[in-house]
Amino acid sequence: MAERTAVLGVGQTKYQTTRGDVSLPGLVREAAYRALEDAELGWDDIDAVVVGKAPDFFEGVMQPELFLAEALGAVGKPLLRVHTAGSVGGSTAVVAASLVQAGIHRRVLTLGFEKQSESNATWALSLPQPFSVSINAGAGGYFSPIIRQYMARTNAPELIGCMVAFKDRQHALRNPYAHLQQQDLTFDQVVESPMLWEPIRFSETCPSSDGACALVLGDEAAGDASTKPVAWIHGAALRSEANNFPGRDEVNPQASRDCADDVFAQAGITDRRGEIDEVEIYVPFSWYEPMWLESLGFCEIGDGWKLVEEGATHLDGGDLPVNCSGGVLSSNPIGASGMIRFAEAALQVRGMAGDHQVDGARKAFGHAYGGGAQYYAMWIVGSDKPTS
Amino acid sequence: MAERLRADLVLEYPFTRTTGPVIGAFLTGLREGIILGIRRPDETVLCPPTEYDPESSVPLTDLVEVGPGGELMSWTWVDPPRAQSPWDQPHGLGLIRLDGADTPMVHGLLVDGPDQLSVGMRVTARWRPEREGHIADLEGFVPEGADQ
Repeated sequence: MAERTAVLGVGQTKYQTTRGDVSLPGLVREAAYRALEDAELGWDDIDAVVVGKAPDFFEGVMQPELFLAEALGAVGKPLLRVHTAGSVGGSTAVVAASLVQAGIHRRVLTLGFEKQSESNATWALSLPQPFSVSINAGAGGYFSPIIRQYMARTNAPELIGCMVAFKDRQHALRNPYAHLQQQDLTFDQVVESPMLWEPIRFSETCPSSDGACALVLGDEAAGDASTKPVAWIHGAALRSEANNFPGRDEVNPQASRDCADDVFAQAGITDRRGEIDEVEIYVPFSWYEPMWLESLGFCEIGDGWKLVEEGATHLDGGDLPVNCSGGVLSSNPIGASGMIRFAEAALQVRGMAGDHQVDGARKAFGHAYGGGAQYYAMWIVGSDKPTS
Repeated sequence: MAERLRADLVLEYPFTRTTGPVIGAFLTGLREGIILGIRRPDETVLCPPTEYDPESSVPLTDLVEVGPGGELMSWTWVDPPRAQSPWDQPHGLGLIRLDGADTPMVHGLLVDGPDQLSVGMRVTARWRPEREGHIADLEGFVPEGADQ
């Protein structure tokens, strides 16, 4: 049986457009230090470090994990790098957890980061490839036809995406770490914002952020020894598929469904909507909230937009609050964005999510996807130790 | 017969970099014509400086001026320099431990030939007249007394 594993500490930087006051090492140090502080541990207590970020081309620093070893207290310790595009923050946490679950290490520091102010993601995602033609679409251009396919399949009303964006920006006002703090934003302003890639409006997209997020994971003894509430990992799963093959369902990819089935089975959860108290899904473009709610089995296929419309995913009054932190739509340091989902799920079940806490949350779901919706990472954390 | 495909690939983007409090101070020092190292808790001095201790990972903040003279600890001769080299003449590359520092830094040795270099010799910094906060503000190192 796998070693029971807990999130002992969470550290985040304030997400913002430019952190001109810190270098890359200074940025990751801030998050790592805060996670250790939250876990009430020191650098010497950490056995291994697992780092994730989006492709090296983003900042143009090759193998930055080596350059960051000193800032992360990793000198002389195992240091792993995980690569799974935008899902990497989630995948990194799953890899780090596996090192504890396998009994290899007792306490692991894991961290994701991005300094988008020093890079250009759209450029890096649209690099020309030899012997092929680049359509230079960037992420929005890639995903908008898939969203249109979802709308056509489900007859979703046109403004569902705007409702998601407005909700997440309202949630962000209750999270001091969130990048976008749009106090005066109205729903009409979201609707009237410029259309970028039909049906995606400007206000339905994520910002470009600098930031880092870190977790300290520990084994059962470390979890038991913590003086603060910890988040116990009830399930953790990864799946991948090619981003292009005949017959691929791009709206609801098999890798997404398989990953969800695996993680819910590990956690022994049969009623997904009923048993999960808070959901942190990777939603860089608003429509991905209803799309993932369906793919993840929180509702029937075709019903995701109805949850949005009836307010089920709102922190105030919803039975399945989604992205209470404000989500990727409010903060997007790409390499950290997946880990922020996992971290926020942990904060919820620890009762430490502050003004965006879901009252009495006992089980929460963290999710990340990346590439051409082809890499998936998911975990379920709970206030109580898993029974199996 | 199968044709071999060939394609050029040029990738170009103007990256930016935030230097932070330590590397930023080091580069600012170069612009002003001084070389900064940083003191570790055990009183030894690293040059070039780092933000975090390379062994214990503690943050380092105590910047100290070092050099401009120092000792040549090791060297190699480059002739001819390659097209990408910062120097267009044959030159040495050396590990130079600056006075006041405990670790050596790599830089160019601006002499006419390898017979003018030896381990343990004294060298000193030669600055460019126009400086912009870049490692190349230091044109290189020359034997002590050579620029007098």
